[in-house]
Amino acid sequence: MLKSLTFRAIVPVAIAITGFVVVCCILLYSALKADMINDAVSYETKLADTIIRSTHYAMLKGDRETLRNIIENISSQDELEHVRIFNKKGLIMFSGKHGEVLTYVDKKASGCIGCHAGPVAKSTLKQMERARRFQDPRGKEIIAITSPLYNDPACYTASCHFHGADQKILGILDIGISAEHLDSTLTLLQSRMIIFSIMILLLSIGGVAALLRRQVFVPLRQIRTFTSKVNSGSLSHDLSGISGELTDLACDVRSIACQLKVAEEELRKIKGSRKTDHEPVAEAGSAP
Amino acid sequence: MTKHPAPHDQQKEEPLAELPGSAEHRENIRRLKAKSSRGLYAMAAFIAVSIGAIRDFDFLPTISPQVRTALGTPPSANMISTALLLYAFSAIILILSRMMGGSHSYSGMAHVGYLSGFYIFYSLGGTLADNIWAVFAAGITILGLESYHIWTFCNEEIRKEMEALEESSRKQRLQQ
Repeated sequence: MLKSLTFRAIVPVAIAITGFVVVCCILLYSALKADMINDAVSYETKLADTIIRSTHYAMLKGDRETLRNIIENISSQDELEHVRIFNKKGLIMFSGKHGEVLTYVDKKASGCIGCHAGPVAKSTLKQMERARRFQDPRGKEIIAITSPLYNDPACYTASCHFHGADQKILGILDIGISAEHLDSTLTLLQSRMIIFSIMILLLSIGGVAALLRRQVFVPLRQIRTFTSKVNSGSLSHDLSGISGELTDLACDVRSIACQLKVAEEELRKIKGSRKTDHEPVAEAGSAP
Repeated sequence: MTKHPAPHDQQKEEPLAELPGSAEHRENIRRLKAKSSRGLYAMAAFIAVSIGAIRDFDFLPTISPQVRTALGTPPSANMISTALLLYAFSAIILILSRMMGGSHSYSGMAHVGYLSGFYIFYSLGGTLADNIWAVFAAGITILGLESYHIWTFCNEEIRKEMEALEESSRKQRLQQ
């Protein structure tokens, strides 16, 4: 099987096409996954910016009831897993989940460690550095983003506030959305790509095999049958229905067979004439 | 009384004098057999590197921040992926053209080096986990084709050498 023409023709084509398609699919999947995660983070960043702008006036006025109300309304959306605001010490002041209000966030948890890894916490991070992906205690995948609430002149000059001008960050807004939808989309994409790769493999093998059979193997079998019949002495067998480059080979085989047939007939004639020439001599020799 | 061996026995015991070409054919066959398994060595080396890549080369010493700064910003994942795609495409085309031309050249180990380079670039860029299987699939495809090419080429040459060896031994028998 390993030495057959079919195997030797199909294997390199199948490896080359399927291998390259698989590489392309994996790279495409990886690029799409990165783009979709970037989009999710970008959506969260915009949402965080909207929340900060919406709550800015209530914060300036120290209107905690309005603030709580805004956070509760936003966190009631299906996709949002958590919305919370905590102060510089990590104490949660407002949250969609009432149970976690006035509890401390873990600074060593993923998402917090990015800023709190060193002795001095970082005050500025790029958009993607603010994002984190983790599993919540229920085992649900969450994509979360933290957005700092920066101090500005309106904050530290307001009569009702106690923040100093030197305090750069007043608190952190933390938003988390479920990654389930993203994961299901990626799984669907992955399965479609696997099916696509298998289809490419089957098509390439099937296509090459069908073409080889039609254009090479069937004519070759005809030539082989013809030559084996010529070899066994039957020259009456016809060789037709061959096209393509194999026509030349078929013509040569046919012409050799015809020449052989003519030569055999001539030889038979010569033998026949010799026989008739020798018979009267033998008859004359045997006479008394 | 010593028994003298019959002339026929003498002929049996003495090995036939080998023709000058036969030794060369045998040497060629041995060389081709060794060459045909080169593909497997390259594949084994690549799999070893890939295992290291799956572990994110945790057995290697970590790069200090100074060295990282000296190296500069790593290329983006998109750039590395584009380079990988171009490399895989051109390597496959080159191997297929070598197959068509019946060339004996083999560059499996060089490909192991190039593929390791891709692993290193992805690792430095921090995107190795997302792209490791792309490099692995590219490597298996390229090295698989290289191995198949060198294996079929060597088998074909071994068959020719065997035929030549048989022909020379037949001539030798006829001469004697």
